[in-house]
Amino acid sequence: MDSEDDMHDANDVESMDDDEGFYSDEMGMDYYGSDDDVDVDFGEDNEGIKRIEASRAENNFIILKESDIKQRQEEDITSVSTVLSISRAASSILLRYYNWSVSEVHEAWFADEDKVRKTFGLLKKPVIQLPSSRELTCGICFEAFHRGSIRSAACGHPFCCACWEGYIRTSISDGPGCLILRCPDPSCGAAVGQDMITMLVSDEDNRKYSQYLLRSYIEDNKKTKWCPAPGCEYAVNFVGDDENYDVSCLCSYGFCWNCTEEAHRPVDCSTVSKWIMKNSAESENMNWILANSKPCPKCKRPIEKNQGCMHMTCTPPCKFEFCWLCLGAWSDHGERTGGFYACNRYEAAKQEGVYDETERRREMAKNSLERYTHYYERWASNQLSRQKALADLHQMRTVHMEKLSDIQREPESQLKFITDAWQQIVECRRVLKWTYAYGYYLPEQEHAKRQFFEYLQGEAESGLERLHQCAEKELQQFLSADGPSKEFIDFHTKLAGLTGVTKNYFENLVSALENGLSDVDSQAACSGSSSKNGGSSKAKGGKGKGRAGGSSKNIDSAGMWTCEYCTYANSKQSTTCHMCHHQRR
Amino acid sequence: MANSNLPRRIIKETQRLLSEPAPGISASPSEENMRYFNVMILGPAQSPYEGGVFKLELFLPEEYPMAPPKVRFLTKIYHPNIDKLGRICLDILKDKWSPALQIRTVLLSIQALLSAPNPDDPLSENIAKHWKTNEAEAVETAKEWTRLYASGE
Repeated sequence: MDSEDDMHDANDVESMDDDEGFYSDEMGMDYYGSDDDVDVDFGEDNEGIKRIEASRAENNFIILKESDIKQRQEEDITSVSTVLSISRAASSILLRYYNWSVSEVHEAWFADEDKVRKTFGLLKKPVIQLPSSRELTCGICFEAFHRGSIRSAACGHPFCCACWEGYIRTSISDGPGCLILRCPDPSCGAAVGQDMITMLVSDEDNRKYSQYLLRSYIEDNKKTKWCPAPGCEYAVNFVGDDENYDVSCLCSYGFCWNCTEEAHRPVDCSTVSKWIMKNSAESENMNWILANSKPCPKCKRPIEKNQGCMHMTCTPPCKFEFCWLCLGAWSDHGERTGGFYACNRYEAAKQEGVYDETERRREMAKNSLERYTHYYERWASNQLSRQKALADLHQMRTVHMEKLSDIQREPESQLKFITDAWQQIVECRRVLKWTYAYGYYLPEQEHAKRQFFEYLQGEAESGLERLHQCAEKELQQFLSADGPSKEFIDFHTKLAGLTGVTKNYFENLVSALENGLSDVDSQAACSGSSSKNGGSSKAKGGKGKGRAGGSSKNIDSAGMWTCEYCTYANSKQSTTCHMCHHQRR
Repeated sequence: MANSNLPRRIIKETQRLLSEPAPGISASPSEENMRYFNVMILGPAQSPYEGGVFKLELFLPEEYPMAPPKVRFLTKIYHPNIDKLGRICLDILKDKWSPALQIRTVLLSIQALLSAPNPDDPLSENIAKHWKTNEAEAVETAKEWTRLYASGE
């Protein structure tokens, strides 16, 4: 059995079936699809909520819309307020100090109520006795006011409404510090809660205050974060363990809970941060080198020319003498080239276009940055390709689906396989992109791993290209057709098949890479390292996706032979390794 | 022009500053601008600034009292919390400002800062370092500067 054929045969019935089963227990699509129901269920019964919470919990995370956040916040405030018998405003102040942990508030309060009250300015009775006169003087503007126009926090310090408003407004416009506002009297620490604020300031300021309170609920809570996508207003509540940090927001942005960079499986957070650091550092280095240096024509080391004539001598041991302008050997220069110091060979060649950009890049590729450039370019081009695919997916959803539905006389629900395919392309581009960061950090000396990795990556790339091609090009004829065509059914089968197979392959690839390609290490694993889907046996040892595991035994019994060089398990008929073309011994 | 619409609070504060001045402190508004004060603080006894007369300017911004007054030393002074432009590092002039504080309380705080320099929260890095490594010598320099620049002539 040949792994490549199995990988990509879209019409293979077996693989189709596998994919069906695979889809139904996956997160992602199904979860989003049911989101509308979620909102409805919330209002209905507790049973419904529990069920949904449970099904969401399987996904490690819960996406919170603004209304969800408000609801949770209200519930927490109510809970504290009821248990401690204090006002909602006071509860809210305590919760904020304790990072919105209801249990921590309870714990602190019941351990030492007086201390908590003192620390956070929740006074039981006024600290000053006001004179019993009808008029009181505001402590800010020094004007006398009728008692009824004076307001105080629990401490009793008297200020007029206008001064209160100015005081609170200034604090709100200074930022979220308004959430810990205290009485204006500098010697007094009495808390000023939302109840007072609502009474005293404009609707606009109240709205801002509520917004800060809402933000605090997400930002001060260890289990919630805002989705980092620009413009997205959803938050994520992470309820999983540290096994899998990938979360994807309703806005379709996928990111890593742990480091909040974009989702980066199969590489880990530290590799990602290293890679991002390198990209920013290297891009500067690289630009500088490109702009200011030329590689020595002989040894390829980059050379900066800081002064002097065009006659260059490379540093020992190279010591090659060459012309800075044409990069030709200095020995070829003389009167006939237009003089030693004004090389017209360069001018002539430039006019003929010999020294064009590709020439320059080819030279550059030989220098020490070649390796990094190689990986970076591929990383970046997959990134671009992913963005294009995202745009295409959007276009598909908003324009083409309806059109296609008209032409083929099929309901849009029957055409979901197309957007599924595009969604898969987007995800695969993401994975593929990160495999280049993975490859960059895979040690040079681990030949077997490198070769196996490059094989898996190559297969992934060609599989994805096939899918991308099918979704992009082959669809065109149906979009421009006049009416339904019979071939559309074949197209459906093919695209859905490719989607499934590619999805499967990439899942296995991710597991294998997350596992550090550990199967390459052990001799025992060698015989099983290549089941029909290339990396699929890794799934068993990996994150326990546990799907394609059954095949390794078959390979043993089928009498495969293991390549000594790259550990790939080849079929017994072949005499050279399918992967590295090493001769069988 | 700047004096029309002067809030009652500022008028009251000014009146009180003139009628019952705090010991060692004088503050009088400029004739052109009632929000601008010429301030003099006497160097506190038992401090390196003793015997000195320090001139300051104090300005009440439009937002006052919601925003703190702006205060600056005009007399050169050797102090770890005051830089060579006369700017003062004092919490109540920044984040610890409260509208219930007043010109009087601010100036009293500055006077107290002269009695108790705080080299751990410096504005002038060099002076603070001097203060921490050799306090006796730093105090001598402060006295010297007081003689040179704040003798009141």
